[in-house]
Amino acid sequence: MQELVGRLTALDPEASETLKVVSYFDALVAAGVGLDGLLRAAATLAGAVAGAERDGRISRRDPGGGRPAEDADAPRSAERRVPHGSAWIERAGAPHANDAMIVERLALAIELIEARRSPESGLDVVIDASRPVGERDTALARLRIDPAARIRIVAMGVDAPVPEAPSTVVPTPYGILRAVLDTAERASHAAAPADLTGGVRAGLGTWVRADRAPESWDAALVALRLTGPEAAVVDAADLGVLLLLARSHDPASPPEDVRALARLDPRSAEALRALVEADSIRSAATELGMHHSTLQARHEALTRELGYDPRTATGRARYVAAALLLRLGAPPPASAG
Amino acid sequence: MSDTIARPPFDPELEAVLAVLGDQLPPSITPEMIPLLRQASPVAVDVDDVLAEAGVTRRDVTIPGHEGADIPVTVLARADHTGRGPGIFHTHGGGMIIGDRFVGLGQILPWIVEHDAVAVTVEYRLAPEFPDPYPVEDCYAGLVWTAEHADELGIDPERLVIAGASAGGGLAAGTALLARDRRGPRLAGQVLIYPMLDDRDLTVSTTQIDGVGVWDRVSNVTGWSALLGDRRATDDVSIYAAPARATDLSGLPPAFIDCGSAEVFRDEDVAYATALWHAGVQAELHVWPGGFHGFDLMAPHTAIAQAMTAARNAWVARVLGA
Repeated sequence: MQELVGRLTALDPEASETLKVVSYFDALVAAGVGLDGLLRAAATLAGAVAGAERDGRISRRDPGGGRPAEDADAPRSAERRVPHGSAWIERAGAPHANDAMIVERLALAIELIEARRSPESGLDVVIDASRPVGERDTALARLRIDPAARIRIVAMGVDAPVPEAPSTVVPTPYGILRAVLDTAERASHAAAPADLTGGVRAGLGTWVRADRAPESWDAALVALRLTGPEAAVVDAADLGVLLLLARSHDPASPPEDVRALARLDPRSAEALRALVEADSIRSAATELGMHHSTLQARHEALTRELGYDPRTATGRARYVAAALLLRLGAPPPASAG
Repeated sequence: MSDTIARPPFDPELEAVLAVLGDQLPPSITPEMIPLLRQASPVAVDVDDVLAEAGVTRRDVTIPGHEGADIPVTVLARADHTGRGPGIFHTHGGGMIIGDRFVGLGQILPWIVEHDAVAVTVEYRLAPEFPDPYPVEDCYAGLVWTAEHADELGIDPERLVIAGASAGGGLAAGTALLARDRRGPRLAGQVLIYPMLDDRDLTVSTTQIDGVGVWDRVSNVTGWSALLGDRRATDDVSIYAAPARATDLSGLPPAFIDCGSAEVFRDEDVAYATALWHAGVQAELHVWPGGFHGFDLMAPHTAIAQAMTAARNAWVARVLGA
């Protein structure tokens, strides 16, 4: 920890160590640490006093983990809103590279423990498959939603602006994410989901009865992991039968077709994509700016490497499925803040 | 390697620290990792910066160690120290195989500052290059030197305590036993911070902490095997190398012992405190729930580390401040 702290103070926010800040707060939340521990963590990482105000009550901790002397004039930097208050770091002078990110993770963690404790928050219960259906129905009632109503859950990174719709932050195997409730009622007024997702990366879950919300959340997580530079929003409903495939996929032990794709260098991967998508090898060669006979040879080599011909109907289907699963296994796109 | 048997859970804050430090700090240390670990201490800090910030000066002295060989010690005192104050003889941690005399500095520094104590910290030679009895005999030689030079060091010999963490705690206990049996320097107390006392690998806690946490069963066997070689877990091990083997703990100085409930040393540390009480020796014991080995060093900001440090420092204050 000391070494991590030492390196963090001057660190470039893009450096990989900053991921440790994210995973440290995720781990604190997963372990059930309360506000006090979260503030100590933030103060230690920042090397400065960290504070939070909730319902007018102020808590502060210093980097050594102790309580600093009261100081009404202490400068609040990188301040960020949390439910019923805010969180901040007290740094006189220029902020350090990671101050904003540390406070962001602190604020999210506070929101998360708040969501867990607060009885009026219920969306986390609604989407939790491990809760009995009766408990989920009670939570739905608190949100004034009929168990038979058509809803879907949207998954987003927590760095997105907090939407108007009911939402909660939840720990997932892919980091802490925000779940947002979308109703058929809302969707009928505004067809595009953009006003809900605010233009950030989002995975839209399948439309389900409200009492089957965990299914929609699960689909939304799949969809979110399929977002990328070419598609900021992915709708699980568009995946059709591929959603079944994606749900059964364990990224920790990918099948051979997926491993074969993962082994390809970028040029071969690009050639393969063109071969699958183009009408003819000739048009694929034109697209790639490659000679027809060169691509022909590449096609034969790829067929040997993959163990199937990507230009047959079955080969195309295998490629599309494997490419989808490969993207599912990639690092999460939106959780790094 | 996986923890299939039940063990006390880690404290939540400590569990989170383990989650991020896990890749830098593997639970299991094996012999071939020793050279690498010596290159990069996981808790590297700049000693002189730390001392300067605390207002403590440093003087390096070469003294005769075991068999008269030269070994360095460092004398630490407040810059404004005058006259005679309490003394601390410090034996550092590192599993008998790694570390230097500044490992654990943060644990004794507050005592120097608060009580105007003078500390001597000894660079005992490490196993496996220098197996038993080199480490404990170097420590004893350092203690004798400290007591003999008490006047010149500004130490009141009536208020000299020995302190060490982990392997250093085991060496402190062993050195205290040597001092008793050789009628050497009188000690006012022994601060045994999660001490490494038992080479036999037979406790429940060692089977519970295998492949998890910090300094697990594998690491512990690595450390003891480096120190004792083929003698480990045989009848041919002295009480000074492995104080858990001592059957008579009478006549020892009052002891302070602390450890975590989720570390290999838990059972041997509790047993040592119990054996001290049985022998009529005063001892204070703290077992911190969910603590992994050395958690006060690795996660000093956590609530449980603060509590551990406060309890330890309070004991030292009662002994040194008197």
